[in-house]
Amino acid sequence: MKALTAALLLLVAVAGPSVVLSRDPRRQLFALTAFGALLAALFEVLQAPDVALSELVVGTAVTPLLFAVALTSIALDRRRR
Amino acid sequence: MSLALGVLPWLVSAWLFAVGLYGIVRSRHYVHLIACLAVCQSATYVLLLSIGFRWHAGPPIFYDHPPGSAAVDPVMQALVLTDIVVGAAVSALLLAIALQVHKRRGSVDPQSLRPLRPNR
Amino acid sequence: MSPGLRSLLLLLALALLAPFAWHVAKALPQFGSPTAAYGATVNALGPPLRHVSNMVAAVNFDFRALDTLGEESMLFCAVTGAVVLLRGTRGEGTTQRAGLIPGRAVLARSDAQVLVCRIACTLTMLFGLYMVLHGTVTPGGGFQGGVIIASAVLLLYLAEGYGPWRRLIRSPLLDVLESLGVLLFVGAGAAPLLSGHAAMSNLMPLGHFRDLFSGGVMLVTNFAVGLAVAAGFVMLLLEFLEETRALQSDSLPDEAQR
Repeated sequence: MKALTAALLLLVAVAGPSVVLSRDPRRQLFALTAFGALLAALFEVLQAPDVALSELVVGTAVTPLLFAVALTSIALDRRRR
Repeated sequence: MSLALGVLPWLVSAWLFAVGLYGIVRSRHYVHLIACLAVCQSATYVLLLSIGFRWHAGPPIFYDHPPGSAAVDPVMQALVLTDIVVGAAVSALLLAIALQVHKRRGSVDPQSLRPLRPNR
Repeated sequence: MSPGLRSLLLLLALALLAPFAWHVAKALPQFGSPTAAYGATVNALGPPLRHVSNMVAAVNFDFRALDTLGEESMLFCAVTGAVVLLRGTRGEGTTQRAGLIPGRAVLARSDAQVLVCRIACTLTMLFGLYMVLHGTVTPGGGFQGGVIIASAVLLLYLAEGYGPWRRLIRSPLLDVLESLGVLLFVGAGAAPLLSGHAAMSNLMPLGHFRDLFSGGVMLVTNFAVGLAVAAGFVMLLLEFLEETRALQSDSLPDEAQR
């Protein structure tokens, strides 16, 4: 149990820089989704099922979708100029 | 070893916040900046939930475990729960602002956008 | 301020703060120490006082319902701000044709996608409703169930395509649902004032422990939050997707119908 908690904390500590260091926003989407899934797993191990549920849905489904649609709108607007 | 595990969540939280802040300062695209802000927010979630955690305790849901069994702190979880959902809505608002910036100024690069001058 | 100078200042600030962060990390109680007094009190007194088994929902919707009212107002304002920004510059009314970006293909939806998303949408919507209604008994609640319902509506968009989906999900209905959620929450908080009690008092019948209808006013506030969160996120989704549609002034070939 302690090993699992420590391993997930270290994985989250590695996933954070991967989100920041992905410069292209389209690539960063995937890093953000993986980061959200890892956070949900960490919250589950920290005995917080409610928080894990909402982080899973928000971090892997809703937020990356909003990012993707915003990027498409920016690309469309760039084309119109 | 257990001393290292005793301070690991606080260090991970500080590290995530510092990394997110670095991403915000060095960002060249507003959408990338908003994702780095999400990393900063997640640092606070990790910190709050780790403060409420307790070894060999279950979740604060007494459906299967009888009331009175060892459970972690529910107040911290309540704080983080509302925080996550509201944080997503605020990210959406920031994305809408980024979209408007691109429509007005033609660029989403924070370092190439200068403030508006008066009488322009 | 040039970018190089800005990064240098940041690294300087982080280097100055790092020893203090290390000192604080050492001074905080060890990870896994026994719970604070407030949390332990809620865990001990929640089931006998309110007959609920989900302590997180009890804290959110009863003991600290005032904080949740503030959070729901924040959600409402953020959604309103985003919708006003996007709808204000684009105008109301819907367009059928997807915007085209040169070099990116506009693919037709495959049969597998339609089938899987149709099945998944109904199951997810049902699961989201279950999550909202069982908030006081098992892990769940208005916030989680609301976002699950919003993701079910997203699956519906993937299954049906933009035109039929837009005819089904109408903006005025979502506006009404979200405002109703916030109004219901405020009403549940203000109703005890009419009979001389403090605001947000739990005066409704409490029900039995581990029963579905337990918790009193928690059921009302839970449902209100679920309504507001679901409608708010679907509205955000709708406004952002509308941004990707073609304007009347764009010239598009005929195969850009989606």
